[in-house]
Parts: sequence; structure tokens; C-alpha cells
Amino acid sequence: MPPILEARNLRKEYPGKLALKNLNLQLAPGEVFCLLGQNGAGKSTTINLFLGFIAPTAGAAFINGLEVARYPLEIKRHLAYIPENVLLYPHLTGLENLALLSSLAGFKYSESELRAYLTRAGLPPEAAGRRVGTYSKGMRQKVGIASAVAKRAQVLLLDEPTSGLDPKASNEFSELLQQLSSQGTAVFMATHDIFRAKEVGTRVGIMREGELVDVRPTTTLNANELEQLYLKHMQ
Amino acid sequence: MRLFRLLFYYEYLHFKASRGLLLLTGLLLAAGLYGIYYGTAEVARQRRHLAELPALGRHQVAELQVKFPGPAEAGEIGYYHHNYALHYPTAWASLALGQRDVNPYYLKLRLLGLQGQLYASENVNPVKALSGNFDLAFVLVYLFPLLIIALGFNLLSSEREQGILPLLLAQPVSATQLVLAKLAFRLAVVLGLGALLSAVGLAWARVPFDGRVGLWLALGGGYCLFWFGVVVLVAAGQRSSSFNAMALLGAWLTLVVLVPSLLSVYVAAARPVPQGLALTIQQREAIHGGWDQPKMETMRRFFTHYPQYRDTATIRERFAWRWYYAFQYLGDQSAAPLATAYANGQAQRHALAQRLAWLSPALSTQLGFNALAGTDLPAHLAFQQSATRYHDALRTFYYPFLFKKIPFTHADYARLPTHSFTSPSDTHAAWAGLGQLLLSTIAVYALGLALLRGRAVSIR
Amino acid sequence: MVRSIAHKEFLGTLRDRRFAALSLLLLALLLAATLVGRRGYATLQAERTLAQRQVNEQFHHQPGRHPHRVAHYGTFAFRPRAALSFLDGGLDAFTGAVVYLEAHQQNSVNFSPAQQAGSLIRFGELSVAFVLQTLVPLLLIFLCFGAFTEEREAGTLRLLLSQGTTLRQVAWGKIVGYGWAAALVVVPALGLAGGLLLSGEAAAGGTDRWSRLALFGLGYAVYFFVVIVGAVVVSARASQSRAALVTLLGCWMLGCLILPKATTNLGAGLFPAVTKAQLDAAVHEEAQHGINGHDPQDQRAAALKAALFKQYGVTDEKDLPVSVAGVTMAEGEAYSSRVYQQHFAALTRTYERQNALSTWASLLNPYQAIRLLSMGLAGTDFAHYVHFQQAAEAYRYRLVQHLNGLQARMGYGDKERRLDAATWRAIPVFGYQAPPLGWALGYLALPALALLAWALGLSWLGLRLVDKSATG
Repeated sequence: MPPILEARNLRKEYPGKLALKNLNLQLAPGEVFCLLGQNGAGKSTTINLFLGFIAPTAGAAFINGLEVARYPLEIKRHLAYIPENVLLYPHLTGLENLALLSSLAGFKYSESELRAYLTRAGLPPEAAGRRVGTYSKGMRQKVGIASAVAKRAQVLLLDEPTSGLDPKASNEFSELLQQLSSQGTAVFMATHDIFRAKEVGTRVGIMREGELVDVRPTTTLNANELEQLYLKHMQ
Repeated sequence: MRLFRLLFYYEYLHFKASRGLLLLTGLLLAAGLYGIYYGTAEVARQRRHLAELPALGRHQVAELQVKFPGPAEAGEIGYYHHNYALHYPTAWASLALGQRDVNPYYLKLRLLGLQGQLYASENVNPVKALSGNFDLAFVLVYLFPLLIIALGFNLLSSEREQGILPLLLAQPVSATQLVLAKLAFRLAVVLGLGALLSAVGLAWARVPFDGRVGLWLALGGGYCLFWFGVVVLVAAGQRSSSFNAMALLGAWLTLVVLVPSLLSVYVAAARPVPQGLALTIQQREAIHGGWDQPKMETMRRFFTHYPQYRDTATIRERFAWRWYYAFQYLGDQSAAPLATAYANGQAQRHALAQRLAWLSPALSTQLGFNALAGTDLPAHLAFQQSATRYHDALRTFYYPFLFKKIPFTHADYARLPTHSFTSPSDTHAAWAGLGQLLLSTIAVYALGLALLRGRAVSIR
Repeated sequence: MVRSIAHKEFLGTLRDRRFAALSLLLLALLLAATLVGRRGYATLQAERTLAQRQVNEQFHHQPGRHPHRVAHYGTFAFRPRAALSFLDGGLDAFTGAVVYLEAHQQNSVNFSPAQQAGSLIRFGELSVAFVLQTLVPLLLIFLCFGAFTEEREAGTLRLLLSQGTTLRQVAWGKIVGYGWAAALVVVPALGLAGGLLLSGEAAAGGTDRWSRLALFGLGYAVYFFVVIVGAVVVSARASQSRAALVTLLGCWMLGCLILPKATTNLGAGLFPAVTKAQLDAAVHEEAQHGINGHDPQDQRAAALKAALFKQYGVTDEKDLPVSVAGVTMAEGEAYSSRVYQQHFAALTRTYERQNALSTWASLLNPYQAIRLLSMGLAGTDFAHYVHFQQAAEAYRYRLVQHLNGLQARMGYGDKERRLDAATWRAIPVFGYQAPPLGWALGYLALPALALLAWALGLSWLGLRLVDKSATG
């Protein structure tokens, strides 16, 4: 099967700083790749390169076989992005925000369908019609997830999705992710959370100073071994 | 196109949800309507006053007919009788009052020397003149840019600051599409409001439907487009909303306030107008000198201008009206070079201001509006010229009475020439203003788009 | 505590490059406006002084003439510019420069700068007052809008409060700090103005000018205080810097642009004034058929003649020691001038009523308060203009009546004779004495009180609002 997400010698330099050093990576459908690393290791840079928000210095990123830099709009039909803090228009309701995002992606849903997506993402049904300004961080994130599901993305790009969520919300999030991946959605997730990575990931990668220094399938390690490995790389 | 409609619709939702912007738009609508009301009321007031003047004249004639029951000496009538030179506004004046409030819109003329009468001022409350007119042109030139700034200072920065931009751009939408849709919605609001106000104003002022309507709309629309160009230019810098607000307000202040006032200083210095003061003093000296000159000499000089009266009787009496009016006329003649220089100086000053107006699109637009409405300095100078011709006509009417010693009868009052002048629209100047405006608009868009193209949209 | 916060704000402001750039620009504008204003003042003043001297000499050097000829020859009154008008031109651009003074009629004050300019002049003039009233507040808004919001956004406000300061102390500290920064911009310009005033013809009316300048500076100090406190209060109450900025800019537009114009225009609409033609016709009508019964002028003249005969016990005009024409002329002038005065006073009252709306609006809008105060102190406001008109009319009346008196004393047959040239040299010329500060202050009570009320009200109510605002 061809890779749904691919990096070929992907490199990003800023004046006086190497942000990402020749990344090579392939993700198959249904795979969940968790990228571990400290702040500033290059995780967000990688995600932004896949989103086309920044241009690579060398190499290329591909989504579903399409080069990101060349098809900046086309690739966005195949991917969904959920930032650490999902921010939405505060004066629009959850439903309206979801309707905007999914219709921008080219999907026109009825209100009941939109409600179903929100409920499936875990948003309490009575909250859907309220203004987003009244939502908690977790609730906003659920709208983000609903939008990802609603646009039927084949790749999810997640940037620290569980930071700042309470354990219950974090757990619900993991379950949803596993459900999506079982349906064939590939997930690329940058995180600090080693245990969550072990739990939801099929592979983990460790990134240090812009370089992917280690990649392991999660089946070969338990959580403690993964933590030891991580700390070893950080020294 | 579907995407565009969608983004447009969501812009409408955002706009609807923003109480501040709704309030501002409503305020501007109210200000515009008040401006139209004020302008039309002001012009109606001037028309009413102008319409009352003939009645004042008739009243005075009745008074003179009592005072001179029989045939009178024409010199007496010419001395007392007030003739009114009327400067009627065009229908357009209601929309751009220009200088019609500080310049007199009628002149009371007697047969005496013209130069002493031509510069009389009307009763004006200087406090009001200083505050200026709250007409539709003011709303369009001063206040519309402020609405455009309020709508556009966070064109992109608001999404960035609210953190929504990453999520939006993770959809198959380009930043350009987003900006264009936002711009289009704002443009629709502003141009819609402008068109609505203009339509109400044009209808209320009962403006004749001709090419000038298009010119007015083009000036107003072009001016709004210019300000949207400035908004794009500032948004292209991709700075914070606060910075954008400051930058845009700075641009407003520079273009609407500072440049015109600096230009005003410059124009006054570059084209010093020979003072009217010297002119009045000169005219008085010449006229009053007439009393002390030998009558023969005065008449000889007069007859070089009016040879047709050369054969009239030599003046032997101590006082004769025809001699009196002859030296009044000679007084005007002696002040004529100063008067011409004064009028030319003012015209040149205005022409220079018009040439330099490209420095501020606000100025181009305002001058264009005023030219269209015929309410600027050239219109007043044209009125003064027309009043001068009227004074000539009065003299031509009276001179046969004076020199041929024809008695002035009650029936002759009705034969006196009357005057009415309506300053025409100076469409040429309005086109020139539009040309300047379009050039600045094109320049600002070119600059903005070049900047926007040059760099990627930053997400955070 | 207040001092150390003030010190921190002051330093922070000085180190802010944007503020430094803006304030340098503003300072340059202020200095330029001072110099340009001074130049314009000097030019116009020289022109008018010269013209006044010229007409005075012309008047004094008349040949032997009949006094009524002289009354028709008349003279001109030029309005000298007020000493401080280079700081605030006020109404000067819209008020005339010269009025022709002659027998029988009151002429308009003509040749205002606005009439000689196109609509360019309606965009406003670059003057010190304009910069101080409109632009400095904008600078202060940019300086202050983040006073609390930025500290809250950065979390430093909690830090300050955890040191034991109160919100109110923080607010006062900021107000004092920003005040120092503002003074850096304004004081040099006023210093220059003072210097120019000193270098000019400082001899005449020295103390009056200096006290006007001092009050001018004081007024603006209070105005800036109001703006700073207002901006700090808004910043304390706002949720975000952006909201504070937008609110403050909205207030600025409303206060500096829209309200002044709207109130003046509304006032003018509410109390329509008569035109010059109507005024003249009404004066003429009343002077002819006026209060003195309905007898026309000729009959009144006949009655006057009869009274003279009776007074001097004669039956023939030839035997009268006075000229009947001269006495009639004096009577007529006295009567028509009285009528004119009444109508002129009514017109002035109408204008004052028109302006009252914007005067009272100074209670709502500090900008309108300082505008009136500033013009009044500079001697360029409506009251000063009316004062000049009245002085010119009073001189005209005295002059014409003096000449009528001369004619009356010439006795019978005065028309055939002339008075010799020395007579005219003995007549005092028009010299305008601008009213003193005390007189001007009488017209400025309301705006001055309004400004003070704003200052006190904001320091009291506004700071209470700060107390109640969010800390983190």
C-alpha cells in the first residue's frame, strides 16, 4: 500500500538555526505515529511542513502522494489538523463553527448530521447550540475532532492534543483516536506524553534538535522502557 | 465561487454578531442622513433668503415711490435703490456645501462704485464656519474612512490573534481567498452604505439625473476603494491588530488632516494673494479724490471710456449726479488692476491647491465633490464676475437717464435689469479629481498586492 | 510606591521606540506649528498695522473739507491679531480683517482669510492648538491603552499586586509616569512659544500676555490629565488591549471630530439668524418709522427745526447759531445707530444661542471645553470678535457724531464752507485695545468648570472603577 504521509529528506533551516534535519518517514493508513521530543525539538515545524504553512528548505512532504508545496490546497482535502489549543470563533456556536469548517472543506451537512458529529466527538448535545465563547478547552477540542471526522480526513495531524486536558477528557480522546485509526485514518501526533504515546501509538519516534534520532514500534517496548529510551536520547 | 459565497456568508455572521461594528455602521448611517438633512436644509434656507430678496427690493421701490411721487432724478434713485445680485445654488450644493457658507450668496449693489460693494460679507457665525459643514460630503470624506478602518484594521490579524487561522488554513482555503472574501464583504457593506446614502441624498436634493450622478458615485466609490487599498497595504504587513489600528489611524490623520493643512500653509505662502485691504483703500481714495478734482478733468477722463456721452451739456452747477457717478466709475477703474490681481491671485491659489491635491485623496475627493456642486472658490469668483457684469448693465441702464437728463418715472423701476446666477458644475475639475483619486488608488493596491505576494501569511 | 511605579512607566515609555518616534514627530509638528503660526501672525499683523497707519495718515492729511464729506470719506478699522493668536488661531480664519467706517451705515467686517481661500482651508489649520487638542490625546491614547491590559496579559500585574500595592496605587503611578512623558513633548513647544513671545514686542500688555500664556499651559495640563486618567481607567476596565484601544479611539473620534461639528451645526439649525440684507432692511424700516410714533423722517426733521427755533427764540433759519442740517444729521445718526445696536445685539444673541449647545456640550466632551478655553485665552474666540466689532462701531459712532457736531457749530450755510485741514489732525484715530484677561475669563467660566469637573470626576469615580476591575 502506498504511504498516506511521507517525508523525503525534509529539511527546514532558519537563519542561524537548523529546525529540521533531513527527515525521512512514511505512514501507512491506519497507522498512529507519535513524535516525542522536548519543546523546540522540531515537532511543530514538522507538522507545519506537512500542512504547508511553512516552506521546506530542501526535500519534500507528501500527503496521499501529493507534494505539499506544490498542491497546498489539494492536500488539505485529505488531512485534518487539531492544534494544541483549538480556537474557534467565540461569537459563533459550536454548530456554526463546525458548519463553517466542514463546508470550507467542501462538505455540506444538515444540522442533525452536524449534531451527530459533535455528539460522536463527545460534545454534550445541549452544548452544540451555545456560543463557543462559553466552552472549555476540552469542549473546543471536541469541535476540532468533529471537524476532522466530518471532513473524512485520511490523515490527522495533531499537535500536543492532550496537553491541558483533564484525565477523563484525555482518555476519551485516546479512545476516539483508536477508533479512527481502526477505520484506516493515519495519525501523526506530536506529544510530550510518553504514556499516551505508548497507549495509542503504533510507532513512536524521538526527535532531538531537529533530528529524528529513533523510531520504534510500540509493540516492542513497554512504557517504562520507552521512558528510559527517551531519557537516554535526551542526555 | 461556492467557497467565496460561503466565506462571504460567514463574514456576514461575524459582522452581525459584532455589536460594536453594527453600532458604528448604524451611527454612520444616522450621520449620513443627518448630513443630507443638514445640507438640504441649509441650501433650502439660502434659497428662501434669495427668494425673499426681490420682495425686499419691491418694498424699497414702494418706499422710493412715496419719497419721489413724481418723475425723479435718476441719480437719486441710483443712489438709494438696492439691486440684488443673486447666487443660486445648484441642486448639488445640498450634498457638498463647500464655501457657500463663508462666501456671500447675494450682493446688494447700488449704482455707486462696485469695488466698495463687491466684497461685503454675509452675516456668518464664525464658530459655525470654523466647525465646518456637516454635509454628506463630510460624512463620505471624513467619516467613511473611519468605518473602513474599523472594519478592516483586523482583516487578518483578528483570526490570527483569536488563534483560528491555523484551523481555517488547514482547510482547502488559501489565505488570499480568505482575504478577498473578507474584503469583498466589507466592501459590500461600505459601498452599499455609501450608495444608499448617495441615493437618498440625490433624491432628497432633487438632483437632475445626468452624467454627474455617475461622477459623484465614482468619486465616492473610488475614495472608498482607496481606503480599502490602504487597509490591504497595512494588513499585508501582518502585524498585530493594535499596530494596524495605529497605522491606519495614522494614515487617516496624515491624509485627511495633516497633508491638507500643511498644503494650506504651503499654498498660502507659494501664492500670496495681493491683499484685498490695499484694494479697498485704493478705491476709496480714488472715489473721494473725485470730489476734489476739477469736474472738467473728471468728465474728460470719463468720456474716453464713454465717448457716446461726450456731447452732453458741460457741468456748471456745484453738484450733478452724472459727474458723481462718473467719478464713482473712475474710482473702480483705478482699482481695476488691483481687483484683477486679487481675483487672479485667488484663482491661482485654488488652481495650485487642485494641482497638489493628489497628495491626499481626501482632498481630491472633496475638491471633486465641491467642483461638482459648484460651491468652491471658482464658483464664487464666477459669481463676482457675473455681479460685475450686472453692475455694468445697471450703469448702462442709468447712464442715458443721467446724461440725457431723462426723468426717472415710476414705470422705469420695472425696467431695471435684474440678476440671477447659478454656478454651474465644474465637471472638468471633478474629472481631474477623479483621475487623481484613481491614480492613488491604483498605486496603493499595487503596493499592497506586491507586499502581500512577497511573503507567506504567518499563522501566529 | 506610586513614585516607583511612575518611574518604571516613565522609563518604559522612554525605552519604547515607537513612542519615541511618535513623540519626536509630534514635537517636530508642534515646533513647526509654533514657528509657522508665529510667521503667519507676524505677516498678517504687519499688513494690518501698515494698512491702519496708512488710512490714519490719509485721514489726518485730508485737505480742507466739509465735515460731512469727511464723515462719508470715513476710515477703516483693522482688527489687530491677538498676541497669542499664533498658538490658537481660533476663529481668525473666519472673521473679517477690516471694516469700513462711514456715516449712516454699519458695514460688515470683510476679507476673512477663509473667503480668500478655497475649501482647502476647511480641512483645518495646522496650529499649536490643533496639535495639542487633537494629536497629543491620540499619542496619549497609544501610550496608555495597554496600561493595565498589557500587564494583565503578561501576568505582571499580579506580580505588582503581590508586592502589596493596590490597584489604585498602580493606576496613580501610571498616570504620573505617563504625565511626565507627555510633558516631555509639550513643554519644549510651550517654552518656544514663551521665548517667541518674549522676543516679540513684549513691552505692551506684558503681564496680561504672560498670564494668558500661563493659563493656556495650565488648561492644557488639566486636559491632558483628563485624557491620561480616562485612558488608564478604560484600560483597567477592558478585557483586552485591543478592546481598550478600540474604545479609546472611538471616544477620540466622537469627541474630537463628530461631536464638535454636530453640536455647532445642530445649534445653528435650531436658531436661524437673519441675513445681512434682512438686518439692514429691518434697521432701515425701524429707523424710518420707528418707535418715535409713525412719523416719517421728514416730519421728524420739521419738528426738530421747530424745536430749534423755539430754543433759540428765532423764526428764520439764518438766525440760528447752529446748522440745522448738522443737528438733524446728529439726531438721525443717534437714532439709527440705536436701532442698529438693538438689531446687532439681537443677532449676536442669536449666535450665542447657536453656540450655546456646543458650549454646554463641553460638560460632556473635554475636547470642546479645552477648545473654548484655548480660543478664549488666545483672544480669538467669539467674544473677542464681538468685542472688536463693538469697539469699531463705537469709534464709528463717536467719529461721525464728532463730525456732525462740527457741522452743527458751523451755523447756517455750512454747505458752502469748509473746515481747514488742521481740524482732521485733531481727531483721534481708531486704536483697538484688546480686552484684558479678566474680561475674557468671564466668558470662560463654563468650559473651565467643565474641564475641572472632568478632572475631579475622573480622579474620583474613575479610580473607584479601577479598584473594582479585574486583577489577573
